[in-house]
Amino acid sequence: MRVEAGGGRARAVGAPASRPPRATVAARSGEGAYPWLWILPALALVLLFTLYPVAHTLWTSLHRVMILLPGEPFIGLANYRAVLESAFFAPALLNSLWFTATAAPLIVLLGLGVAHLLLADFRGRFLVRSVVILPWALPGAISAVLWIWIFHPSWGILNLVLYELGLIERYIPWLTDPGLVRVSVVVAHVWTQFPFAAVLLMAALTAIDPQLYEAAKIDGAGRWQRFRFVTFPQIKAMVVVLLVYAALVAFTSYDLVYAMTGGGPGTATTLLSFQIWKESFSMYNFGNGAALAFITVLISLGFIFAIVRALPSDLFGDADA
Amino acid sequence: MPEGARLGRPLLYLAALLLFLFSVGPVFLSLLGSVIPDQALFSFPADWFGRGFTYDNYRYIFTGELPRSYEIRGANRGMISDAARQVPGSMVNSMAVALAVMAVNVVLGAPAAYAFARMRFRGRRLAFMAIVLSRLVPAMALAVPFYLLIQALGLLGTKTALILVHSVLTLPFTVLILSVFFRRIPTEIEDAAIVDGCTRAQLFLRIVLPLSLPSLAATGLFAFMLSYAEFLFALVLSGDAANRPLSVVMASLARNVDVSWGILNSAIFLAVLPSVVLVAIVWRFIVEGILVGGVKG
Amino acid sequence: MTTRRQLFAISALAAAGALLTVPTTAHAQDVTLEFVVWNYSLETIQDNVKKFEELNPGIKINITDYTWNDYHDTMVLRLRGNTQTDVIYGGQDWLPSWAAAGWLVPLEEHFPEVAKYKDRTANYALSDMTYQGKLYGLSYYADIISFIYNKKILDDHGIAVPETWEDVLAASLKLKEAGMEKPIVYEYDQELPNFYDAFVAQVYGRGGEMFDENLEPLFNDPESEAWKHLQWLQDAFSKHEIVAPETHESKIIPAMNTGKHAFTIVFNYVLAAMNNAAEQPRAGEFDLALMPGAAHSTLGFAKFYALTAQAAQDDARRDAAWQFIEYMGGGDYQIAKRWAVEKGLGFAQLPLFDDPDVQAAWSGWIDPEKFKQQATLAKNGTWTEWTGIWTAYFRPLLAQAMIGEASVAEVMEAGAAKWVEYRTLLRGN
Repeated sequence: MRVEAGGGRARAVGAPASRPPRATVAARSGEGAYPWLWILPALALVLLFTLYPVAHTLWTSLHRVMILLPGEPFIGLANYRAVLESAFFAPALLNSLWFTATAAPLIVLLGLGVAHLLLADFRGRFLVRSVVILPWALPGAISAVLWIWIFHPSWGILNLVLYELGLIERYIPWLTDPGLVRVSVVVAHVWTQFPFAAVLLMAALTAIDPQLYEAAKIDGAGRWQRFRFVTFPQIKAMVVVLLVYAALVAFTSYDLVYAMTGGGPGTATTLLSFQIWKESFSMYNFGNGAALAFITVLISLGFIFAIVRALPSDLFGDADA
Repeated sequence: MPEGARLGRPLLYLAALLLFLFSVGPVFLSLLGSVIPDQALFSFPADWFGRGFTYDNYRYIFTGELPRSYEIRGANRGMISDAARQVPGSMVNSMAVALAVMAVNVVLGAPAAYAFARMRFRGRRLAFMAIVLSRLVPAMALAVPFYLLIQALGLLGTKTALILVHSVLTLPFTVLILSVFFRRIPTEIEDAAIVDGCTRAQLFLRIVLPLSLPSLAATGLFAFMLSYAEFLFALVLSGDAANRPLSVVMASLARNVDVSWGILNSAIFLAVLPSVVLVAIVWRFIVEGILVGGVKG
Repeated sequence: MTTRRQLFAISALAAAGALLTVPTTAHAQDVTLEFVVWNYSLETIQDNVKKFEELNPGIKINITDYTWNDYHDTMVLRLRGNTQTDVIYGGQDWLPSWAAAGWLVPLEEHFPEVAKYKDRTANYALSDMTYQGKLYGLSYYADIISFIYNKKILDDHGIAVPETWEDVLAASLKLKEAGMEKPIVYEYDQELPNFYDAFVAQVYGRGGEMFDENLEPLFNDPESEAWKHLQWLQDAFSKHEIVAPETHESKIIPAMNTGKHAFTIVFNYVLAAMNNAAEQPRAGEFDLALMPGAAHSTLGFAKFYALTAQAAQDDARRDAAWQFIEYMGGGDYQIAKRWAVEKGLGFAQLPLFDDPDVQAAWSGWIDPEKFKQQATLAKNGTWTEWTGIWTAYFRPLLAQAMIGEASVAEVMEAGAAKWVEYRTLLRGN
């Protein structure tokens, strides 16, 4: 038995390799206040900018805060009711849900495929790796300009190319048909988000011990089986995180879609996130905006819950670590 | 080395080409749009290369010299937006803020992530949740309280305000991701170090960090990108032109009647360059990982 | 012409005014004013400000700018958050609500001499800057919504300039038959205030009104011009399919320049950009036509310099702000003239309609006489404390009706009900 000398405490450290290695670094019970030193700067900064805003928003959602009317009386859940019963809520919610449910998985799947591709060995690999990051670097309003140029029904590049290639006879209304426009904005959004999924998945994939693959190959596992039983479990935590993050981003984003379509045609691409802003700054009703924000929070929590349930991983709390 | 895709060679190259086109295509369009004169670009039937290339747009952005097309008769010289001239300056602003945010994320986020991954203490779960779930509230709802908070701190219109806010937006994700990576580091390595008499801090600095360079680089890059492209708070908290970030200038250009398509695309192409440079530098840390030694041995 | 005499009179008055106000600033210490603008041609604004500072050594101006589409929201943040703000660009659609909220104060209350500008201001602009009978600002620029068409295309097809909306339909159908898929390109974005303004302009062209003098809605009557025009638009979009929607005026410029469209309805200054030979392939082909409809009227509006309540609390600031506002929007109109000549921005100051420099500069992209004719026929919109929030509610309904997602009847009735609801909430009747 080795005795650990550092840290001012003598602890028995399990020596034989047969003992679960976790019973060492990780399983320190009761470290006292020391760990707080490590997390305090980050925690303090985040809390400063979270507690007050959340409290402020909560307070606003429970009061009548309208610029055009004096005073800010308490009105309980009236704002929430008004939002839920409003004409814009259901279509915007459906649009946002559809948008999130299509974009988030696509981003992660595409990111996974790209990550695998970029880890393969081929000439020009460095070049492709470098450019993959490009879509991520642009603000939403700018990506919108480029994708409008591509998708525009009258002077868009896509229609031009398809037409010149003889594949279509009439220009396709990518942005003006209510069904097609939903696809167009998802494509543009996925384009802006997939690089970060790819980068993080690449990092996760490189962290996998190659010996595990060797062992699997020796056992006769084919490529797909190696993925399913070696790769995926190792990256599952990362996949969950990425899915959750991509879902949150998709559910709360608005600038790309708005810049591309203005919410149209009609209400085909009006998103819930934008309504928060609109209720506050256009309808001058900050109470409603805040209530809608909290409703969005609840829905987002629902997303997280669903995703984490569907893909159990050691992400949120193991017994020891 | 980790397993890469093992398609047949031709399929592999095809996939790589498609990926290349998909990523670069729109940006390449902006390059074309910046050097092909507008008259050619919007001609119908399309004749893009009939008039050659022009660099007047870039020259205007950097020197203010009017593009040659404005010298011809009938051109209204007043109808060119000077907002485009703010692009280089605002690029520097955004880069400075984004680099600072990257640094803050690594310096504050990595230790916190490590503590969550490897230390046990009362309130650990709660603190972790507090940091990670802080991102649930949609940014649009936070605009007003953030504005009031920053104004109370006297930081309205400064780059510091943006650094703070962007760090708050990125830290949760950084902490989450890094905690996942830190947990992946085999404990034997850390145990061995402790046995050899390392303090926690030494263990962290000398062993864990170097082993996690890929993930640190990845999350750092993520923080940089988010800050660089962020628009909502950049707008709400920004002040005069000296401190203005790029995203605000770009949004203004995109809807400005006096900004020709060529100038807009020149600005877009310029905006992308810093990211390309950063990636070129950081990439080898991510993939040519220094993940050797402890794992293979 | 009495122009020169008018100018002399104005200068004399301005000089007298300046002499009268000099004592007030002479004993005040240096004042720094916070001037908040949207950043259209920021360099010009900065230059104008510099000229003012040179003439008024005791006053310094600090310019803060936002983009036009973010201006309103960030101003709401600023004003609610009490960030120091003294002189701002004001808009006709916000004036009643911002004044009612106590953020802006009438110039007329503190500086009655501003009344001298009233009869030199276009009526729609004057109305736009007035709330509860008091004048709140001096105009920065004023413009109209214009019906713009491609002369060459119409000539090539032997089509006369449309006088009514039936003419527009007939012309579009003829062009469509000749191969033009969507002869009309229309600014269609339900979140833009001018989406509603353009509709009102077209209704005015027909001789209709949205509301009567008692602020009762008129548009929910199937016989009203507004109802009929929404029906016309719905048919144009969905039945005849002659309209191509475009989300912003900045994209209408290249769209018209592809030659694939013949008609559009936008702010008048967009015509200057369309006809700009520096960048546009078809510059020179576009012209203004009187708004189709029996009355040929259109919507006119003004943006203006306004004084905040915050500034008015401090005498030195208030007086300095007035000097600044008068320099920029009043006086001998040098600043307004500069905007007109250099940038093609419209103006509310009547003398400028006949100014030879303005006419010379404008004839490059528009017929100044036709502009004057249309501006003379223009009318202001109905701006109340709740117009802003009501239009935010009504615009998506209009958008849905246009593409056939909702019926005209549904939309008009819902809009009228909401208007009455807001009116009752805020005015008690």
